[in-house]
Amino acid sequence: MDNKIIIGIAAVAIIAIIAGAVFMGGSSTQRTDDSLVVAAYSHGGEPESGFDPILGWNYLAEPLIQSTLLKMTPNMTYKNDLATSWEANDNFTEYTVKIRDGVKFTDNTTLDAEDVAFTYNTVKNNGTSDLDFGSFENATAKDNNTVVFELNTPDSTFVDKFAYLGIVPSDSYNNETYGSHPVGSGPYKFVQWDKGQQVILEKNPDYYGKQPEFNKLTILFAQNEAAFNAAKNKEVDVAAVPLAFANETVNGYDMKLLDTIDVRGVSFPMTNNTGEKVEDAPVGNNITADKAIREALNYGINRSQIAEGALNGIGVPNYDGVAHSLPWANPEATIQDGDVEKAKQILSDAGWNDTNGDGIVEKDGQKASLNIYYSASAPERQAIAVMIGEQAKEFGIEVNATGAEWDEIYKHEYSDLVVWGYGSTDPSDMKGKYYSESFVEGTGNPGHYNNSVVDGHIKAAMAMDRNSSFAEWSKVSWDGSTGISPKGDAAWLWAGEIRYGYFVDNSLDISPSTALLQPHGGDIFSNIYDWHRVSSIEK
Amino acid sequence: MVNSKKSYNPLSRMNLRQKTLLTIGLSVLILVLVVISSLFINSSDITTNFKIMNQPPSFEHLFGTDWMGRDMFTRTLKGLGLSVQIGAGASILSSIIAIAMALMGSINKYLDSLMSWLIDLFLSIPHILLIILISIGLGGGAFGVTMGVAFTHWTTLARVLRADIKQINTSDYVKLSERFGKSRLWIARHHILPLIVTQIIVGTILIFPHAIMHEASVTFLGFGLSPHEPAIGIILSESMKYLATGDWWLALFPGLALLILVLLFDIAGENIKKLLDPTSANE
Repeated sequence: MDNKIIIGIAAVAIIAIIAGAVFMGGSSTQRTDDSLVVAAYSHGGEPESGFDPILGWNYLAEPLIQSTLLKMTPNMTYKNDLATSWEANDNFTEYTVKIRDGVKFTDNTTLDAEDVAFTYNTVKNNGTSDLDFGSFENATAKDNNTVVFELNTPDSTFVDKFAYLGIVPSDSYNNETYGSHPVGSGPYKFVQWDKGQQVILEKNPDYYGKQPEFNKLTILFAQNEAAFNAAKNKEVDVAAVPLAFANETVNGYDMKLLDTIDVRGVSFPMTNNTGEKVEDAPVGNNITADKAIREALNYGINRSQIAEGALNGIGVPNYDGVAHSLPWANPEATIQDGDVEKAKQILSDAGWNDTNGDGIVEKDGQKASLNIYYSASAPERQAIAVMIGEQAKEFGIEVNATGAEWDEIYKHEYSDLVVWGYGSTDPSDMKGKYYSESFVEGTGNPGHYNNSVVDGHIKAAMAMDRNSSFAEWSKVSWDGSTGISPKGDAAWLWAGEIRYGYFVDNSLDISPSTALLQPHGGDIFSNIYDWHRVSSIEK
Repeated sequence: MVNSKKSYNPLSRMNLRQKTLLTIGLSVLILVLVVISSLFINSSDITTNFKIMNQPPSFEHLFGTDWMGRDMFTRTLKGLGLSVQIGAGASILSSIIAIAMALMGSINKYLDSLMSWLIDLFLSIPHILLIILISIGLGGGAFGVTMGVAFTHWTTLARVLRADIKQINTSDYVKLSERFGKSRLWIARHHILPLIVTQIIVGTILIFPHAIMHEASVTFLGFGLSPHEPAIGIILSESMKYLATGDWWLALFPGLALLILVLLFDIAGENIKKLLDPTSANE
């Protein structure tokens, strides 16, 4: 009797699934021409701590509700936003920023230098943000329009932070309530946050910059296939979808593939496992500590195949984690990969041989068997992990994939391979990945990479003017004799740059020519000021 | 009239037995085939081929292919094999736990009430919840899921066995053996075990469908196994994502296969019950 019930439930479930597939579509909420409904908060989904820049709201993307001191332009230079001018001293330890006059928060208080100083100092002191504020010491308001930022070490990349952090009002800011009731000076003002579902924003009539065309902006937190379904049901103007859906067609929508600088790659633990632990997570891996293994993987893996397959033919192979469109990309870091013979040669030269005929090489009784972790909710990372496993087998390295939640992955980040996503218009992103101290500080560098020459390049670049530092940053990848790239220490296994795919309603022009390159964690709203409804929405 | 009735009756009885045996034989054969063929599939041999992504069923790929171009027939077969293995492990473990509990209950009345309390405790927590908790607690993976299912499915069998043992303990022959000075162990071996062995076998087989369904639901919910591994629940949950794009074969065939597998176990179990427990044959 009981079994019959279970079987019945199973049958009903299957029928429901099929029926769901057939009847998908139909109901649609009403959209209007002067408002936007967008399921494209593409990266981390709903912000857990709300819309508080101090706690990490959209610092890599347009914060919408707040405004920033500077804004990036499509050619990757900075233009003034809240700031009217800025300058740094010769060794980049002190920045002076002049603030625009007469800017109002949406609660009608005035934004002045004190608010700016308050925002930066609070980020530093509360330390909950993912922003790298390591070099920042403090900010002081000299007068109503002048803020002085003091750094403890030369850092020419501090200017990048000016474009990250939305400014909050110092008088009313409360770290417990601000996230759910944000007040700012951005193009939109906050109306309502339905947790787990959507956030509704309204145009800020007092915004000092270019007014966006749309009076209301609703951001749905639907992701992946849910976003795709929303587009199919004509419920949204823009839907961000995973690459796997990029080749689908949806009536009334165009697939827009936007370039990003978001790169997927795999970190290698660089040190031997000595039993050391950091917060209960073991450190080191005796197999990947051997350079031959890392080199063999870097030369043996076929990145073009990964771009063609795992990245659905719209990815670009990448060798050093720096997207090719960034000014510090280093073409010298490129290698001829997919070379299985070379990989085998590297392994056997280093003493890794298959002695027991199982197809996997061994050395000193240790089998070249690695674990790779990927985020279970990211299909392209899963595909990369699976493809690396398949390809590595051909030259005798076993790579077992495990999909997990991030909580679980962080327990393995120092001792196993992890598929990461990185990419920023801020070159200090490289400091986070490769600077030896970053591991010690726990701000990055999961593989515990330590090369004093690379550290030297990073330090030197941080002390140079931003534009002239690019050449120095590219030396981190490969400077002719060493670096993090496969030719050097092969510190990571970088696979490919991805693109972001959006279904955009035919009636909407998202102005791709003025869109910023999206960093890892970025979003589509960088040029929302230029979005334009070219025709009425087709119902 | 009388003659024909006489000749009809034995034939009918023969038929039932033959039919029962035939049903058992057939379903067991299919199940064994599934398990054996899945054992021959090495999960690392189900390779990706992005040139043939999301292809509908064809003679080359009977169940079609998925978003990484993997053959769904082999994935489904491997998944079913995994389900049966987890099911087998879980039901045998469950039975062992159930027997141990039932025997423990027969020692004295304190242990007996402890056992009923344990049964009530386990029954009061939703199975799925408990399976998820246990499998996460044991570090996930196939092992975690097996243990999770095993530790939640022993209760019904334990209850049946407990009732049976209680009944047997009050019978005259047990009392007589006690008077003769036979030990509790001797009684358990010679009087109780032979009578409950049918229940144990049938019970174990009937836990199978439950175990498989629960394994599928837990992996469907994303607990236990990684999303690239071929478990039937994972295959089904992944198929949900591609229904919107019209890839119906990803859900239909694995779903049907799971349904048939569970049905086969149920049929086999019910028929074996008829064979071993003749009173139920007349139901």
